[in-house]
Amino acid sequence: MNILLTGGSANGKSTYAEKLAAACAPPVYYLATMRPYGEESLAKIARHLAMRAERGFRTVERDVRVASFVPDAGATVLLECLCNLTANELFDNNGTADAFAAERILADIAALESRCENLIVVTNDVGSGFAGIPAAGYSASTRLYVEILGLLNATLAARFDLVCELVCGIPLLLKGTPPPSFPRGTP
Amino acid sequence: MILVVGGAAAGKRAYVESLGYTAAQMADSTDMPRVGDARDERRRLAAALADGRPVLLNLHELVFAHPSAFTETAAATESAAVTDSAAAAEPNEPAADLFAALLAKEVITCDEVGSGVIPATREERDAREATGRLACRLAAKAERVVRIIAGIPVVLKEA
Repeated sequence: MNILLTGGSANGKSTYAEKLAAACAPPVYYLATMRPYGEESLAKIARHLAMRAERGFRTVERDVRVASFVPDAGATVLLECLCNLTANELFDNNGTADAFAAERILADIAALESRCENLIVVTNDVGSGFAGIPAAGYSASTRLYVEILGLLNATLAARFDLVCELVCGIPLLLKGTPPPSFPRGTP
Repeated sequence: MILVVGGAAAGKRAYVESLGYTAAQMADSTDMPRVGDARDERRRLAAALADGRPVLLNLHELVFAHPSAFTETAAATESAAVTDSAAAAEPNEPAADLFAALLAKEVITCDEVGSGVIPATREERDAREATGRLACRLAAKAERVVRIIAGIPVVLKEA
């Protein structure tokens, strides 16, 4: 089963995603896409690694080209998150945009889908600010990022089995029928 | 009127297409002529909207391009003017009423611009405020209000 979790920042997407993944049969992989920058993020990553090891998650790091990861059979993979992956694939170090990023990400995720039992993708609803408005003073590259991530979200949502929006930690089901084992989101 | 809201690039236009509307039937606020800040800005905007096309896309862009036409004060002035003209028993002139011109559309799409970080400038904050208030007023009159998220339509209101 493929699951997309969307919503605004700090609405409990990651917590819920980890709860979902933990309810699945092993092996469970945490596919981390954040590009580590500086001491602060390295410390954060170390803390998260330890937390997830306690839950029996295996952590794999890919800041681009997630299709290079081949999990063991019957795996559940939690991809955290599409926002970072999109930024990493879309822009190079000079901030130049890659016109083929969206196609590449979609193909890579399709490859992952074919290799695992469950794929859980965490994304973000970055279009719900006013970043899409030229008059609002956001850079062209920010608007491009909003466009691309919006396209990726809609494309994945169309082909995934379950789509949830997290609001204040509460999952709102937008698409699909959850299995009976599906954990409740409310704390 | 059907009001379609949602974040930028959430799939609102695709939803309008799924209702059977063609590109030729869609007016895009980004392509509307700027009518300037003339005293009759609202009347001229209303006239521009009455172009025979049943769909208006990106209403938020129209508000950001003409913020003074969409403020609460402007709306109140308009209501008063409509009441006055009714009292004077003058023939109703639909083009004079910007809000009526919007309600005459069959479908309007508007970005959700209220989430995210509060804009840095007064102009942006005012336009953002006007967009949200206008969407509330339109939603109150709409037969259907749909929110698109990740391309999925969620019906918020069905009259």
